[in-house]
Amino acid sequence: MISTTKLHFNKRELTLVVPLYITGMVAVISILISVLFWRGGSLPGTTGWIQGSQSNPGILYALVGFLVYLGVQSVATTFPFALTLGATRRGFAAGTLLWSVTVSAYLALAFAALTIIEIATDHWFAGFYIFDIYVLGAGDLGLLLPIVFLGVLSMLTIGGVFGASWMRFGARGPQLIGMSTAIVLVIALIVMIPAAEDIIAAFELWWLAVAAAVVIVVSAIGTWLLLRSASVR
Amino acid sequence: MFTGGGPIYQQLADHIAEDIMAGTYSEESSVPSTNEYAVFYQISPITATKSVNLLVEQGVLYKKRGIGMFVATGARDRLHKLRRSEFRKEYVAPLVHEARLLEINRRQLAEMIDQENKK
Amino acid sequence: MTNAIEVHSVTRTYGRVRALDTVSFAVPEHSILGLLGRNGSGKTTIMSIIAGQDRPSSGQVDVLGHTPFEHAPTLAQISYVRDNQRYPDDYRLHHVLRIAPDFAPNWNCDVAEELTDGFRIPAKTPIKKLSRGQLSSIAIVLGLASRAPITLLDEPYLGLDVTARALFHRMLLHDYGQHPRTIVLSTHLIEESASLFDRVVILEQGGVAMNGDQDDVLASAWVMSGTKDAVAELVADRPVLQRNTVGGLTSITADFALDDATRIRARDLRVQFAPASLQDLVAAYGSSDTDSTDVKVAERA
Repeated sequence: MISTTKLHFNKRELTLVVPLYITGMVAVISILISVLFWRGGSLPGTTGWIQGSQSNPGILYALVGFLVYLGVQSVATTFPFALTLGATRRGFAAGTLLWSVTVSAYLALAFAALTIIEIATDHWFAGFYIFDIYVLGAGDLGLLLPIVFLGVLSMLTIGGVFGASWMRFGARGPQLIGMSTAIVLVIALIVMIPAAEDIIAAFELWWLAVAAAVVIVVSAIGTWLLLRSASVR
Repeated sequence: MFTGGGPIYQQLADHIAEDIMAGTYSEESSVPSTNEYAVFYQISPITATKSVNLLVEQGVLYKKRGIGMFVATGARDRLHKLRRSEFRKEYVAPLVHEARLLEINRRQLAEMIDQENKK
Repeated sequence: MTNAIEVHSVTRTYGRVRALDTVSFAVPEHSILGLLGRNGSGKTTIMSIIAGQDRPSSGQVDVLGHTPFEHAPTLAQISYVRDNQRYPDDYRLHHVLRIAPDFAPNWNCDVAEELTDGFRIPAKTPIKKLSRGQLSSIAIVLGLASRAPITLLDEPYLGLDVTARALFHRMLLHDYGQHPRTIVLSTHLIEESASLFDRVVILEQGGVAMNGDQDDVLASAWVMSGTKDAVAELVADRPVLQRNTVGGLTSITADFALDDATRIRARDLRVQFAPASLQDLVAAYGSSDTDSTDVKVAERA
């Protein structure tokens, strides 16, 4: 199991450097956009400015695509090689989960560190809001850490279960999962829609955390079940 | 080198035996290990062991524990005796057969043998 | 001698396709076994099952006394790189060499280094872009440097040049000499590898056509050729593996003891006979038709 985790970290650059690199790129783009607004007449430091830039969740969305890819490849292309090296399917699934948890914790800490710097430097000395934004808890580390950790972990495990379904059923696998997820969601909506207003009114942030936890657990178990009977080609 | 023509272990055993008869390995000197034979002739070490065991059974080689395989005293004589009985079947019979086909009579055959001997 | 690998009536079906049909054979410890047969005869399937990467539909496989599937201690003793092995995205040689020792307890860096140098595997090229021969080379590096008690080599020669093949043989036998292990090697390059094997298994359409000590297997196999009538008289009603007739000439591959009387009769009938090579035998078992009259392409006027 530990060997599998090491196997995933074998590509150090991809798992550890690339996410930060993407973060950096998005930061640069966010700054450019801020500069654009600035040139357009909006002034840094005004309430409108702060609200506008704090509402920009670009940093998170930019990583979603990459993290899902990372999750998919962690299973799809690594699994056959792991078996060749002599990993058990059980050990591979567990090692992959451990790796996902580690990467998520790493990114959560990296984001926390960057947020602390951003706030300490008065938003990079120029009023740029990159990490101190609403979706990341607006500078509250108590919110940011779980948000990033659970967010990244869900993306990785969702990617993993899609990769596993592809190993198990070939091209039909991901379609199958996509379809069944869609059906479950629609059914859930049909059941809940009459009470939608009450539900939305009662919404609490921890609901999302629970939802993420459910997604993570279901994906991880699904990955293991799919890999258990997948045949390597 | 061992392609076709009977079991490989037999071919290697024959080869070692021929080396001993030709004096490549004198009596009481050591012969290469089975692993060396295996690597050199690119054959399975198990096959090489089989060849060496065959020669041990025939009293041609013997094992000195921890040192290696050695040519037994009297190995050449033993091999000569063994080989002579094979000689007629393996060499004389085809020779006579071919000579008959080419209508070479007994006297002509003897002459050819004499000429070969003079070389 | 104890058996390192025992295959008991293994059947493997994929949907309606029967890849293996009640296959049984054993590999004694420290044996070098040639796993032979045509494409699609089931070689890769049985290797995957022995390696614990696949499960039989029915039957049982024991490797070092255990069922290998999901049994971590046994899997650590097995090295198996499939002929179309896939590697993680963006992998280069150094990624493989860095991680392999974590999974192979007996990994030897010197063997790996000597082989990668000898094969001249480019270190900087992504594995995806390597040639067939270079991929085979990496598989051989993994197979030999692992020093696994059970080493399965699936078509190790694919795309290898003649120098690389010789290096592979030398290294295999040399390292085997230092660290004996059980080796199963599948290949189509029979002539070149035949001398390596002390045992052979010939698969044909998912079943075992021949299994045993190579010398025993070949002891009674013959190729005879001569005129059609003469060969027919010699063979009489004994079973023939393959018969090839062109015009009035016939050659057959057969597996029966040849007594002295038959030899003398053969000489008189001008029938040539020679011991069958392993290649002859595999070709004979692989021909679905015992009687072939040259090729079956309709001649056009």
